[in-house]
Amino acid sequence: MKTHIFAFTLSIVLCLTARAGLKWDQTAIELHPTVTDKQAIGHFKYENTGDKPVKFKSVKTSCGCTAAQTQKEEVPAGEKGEITATFNIGERTGTQVKTVTVETDDPANVTTVLTLKAVIPQQLEITPTFVFWGQGEAPKPKTIVVRAAKDFPVKHLKVTSSSPDFRAKVEETGNGQFKIDVQPQETNRLIASTLTIQPEDSQKIFYATARITNARAVQ
Amino acid sequence: MVKSSLVRQALILVALAFVPGFVQAIFFWDKVSWRSPVPASEMVTVTQARAWGENTIWVDARPDNEFARDHVPGALPLNEDRWSELLPQFLAAWSPEKKVVVYCSSEGCNASREVAHRLHKEAQLANVFVLEGGWEEWLKEKR
Repeated sequence: MKTHIFAFTLSIVLCLTARAGLKWDQTAIELHPTVTDKQAIGHFKYENTGDKPVKFKSVKTSCGCTAAQTQKEEVPAGEKGEITATFNIGERTGTQVKTVTVETDDPANVTTVLTLKAVIPQQLEITPTFVFWGQGEAPKPKTIVVRAAKDFPVKHLKVTSSSPDFRAKVEETGNGQFKIDVQPQETNRLIASTLTIQPEDSQKIFYATARITNARAVQ
Repeated sequence: MVKSSLVRQALILVALAFVPGFVQAIFFWDKVSWRSPVPASEMVTVTQARAWGENTIWVDARPDNEFARDHVPGALPLNEDRWSELLPQFLAAWSPEKKVVVYCSSEGCNASREVAHRLHKEAQLANVFVLEGGWEEWLKEKR
């Protein structure tokens, strides 16, 4: 009896494998775009190894920032193709994982989830990107710490305040780190400034904000 | 006798099906999921967020075209496509006593989690919450 049940299970598994439709080269891709890249593109290649054509019913992405394109709506038996997933990096940072869910009419493999992982390099890590004072608070300086990534050594940092009401002083603290002391001239008026932070020899600009709020500051 | 044997074998097959799941849970527990984790204390329902009234800043983390189509009244756009351009506008409206509620399209989207994470980590703001169910849930509750 045991043998019969295992034989039955095995035969079902073998049948499903034998008539498998789309066979994917890989369902997960990791990309390492450069600092200047605007997009990260993954090519998910497949082959119809079954004996019947396979139709794509839907291709959905997990994020509005990712678009997926099939080359054809129907894949004849024996044919190859690919789904292209284009991830628009925008101003995203760090590791981003986006998925593409593919639905086909192949009963053995109705849904396949393709994963696109993009590791976006971060040239500067700025903490915090926002400093504030409560109205009437003592106008003492507040510090922003800037750390350069190992792969992007920075010797000098240029910091500019968009408003003369705030002063920004940069100091190199070693090991690719900088300290920016931001100080308002006064805190009686609700004023704000955008601080432009630019590493020497780099086109890329980073930002921080300084502001006097109408409430007491949380220390 | 035959019946108990069948049940035993069925249980063995079910147990075998769990093996890959356990292996993944043990060896790949720290791998990045496609959704950023948010502590339960930082999730908020539409009803809770509405109860905060004027003390709430609604932040729309969806792409610009979806925001332009419709959004929570008074919401500010803040997405990662135009982060440095939109962030100062949001910060101009922010004050320490306000609660920030970030939403994206639906339960399955991740943009609100990413935006909330950056407001916490980079701007070091407190009281930042992610709306459960996103815009879809807000529309349902509005009816």
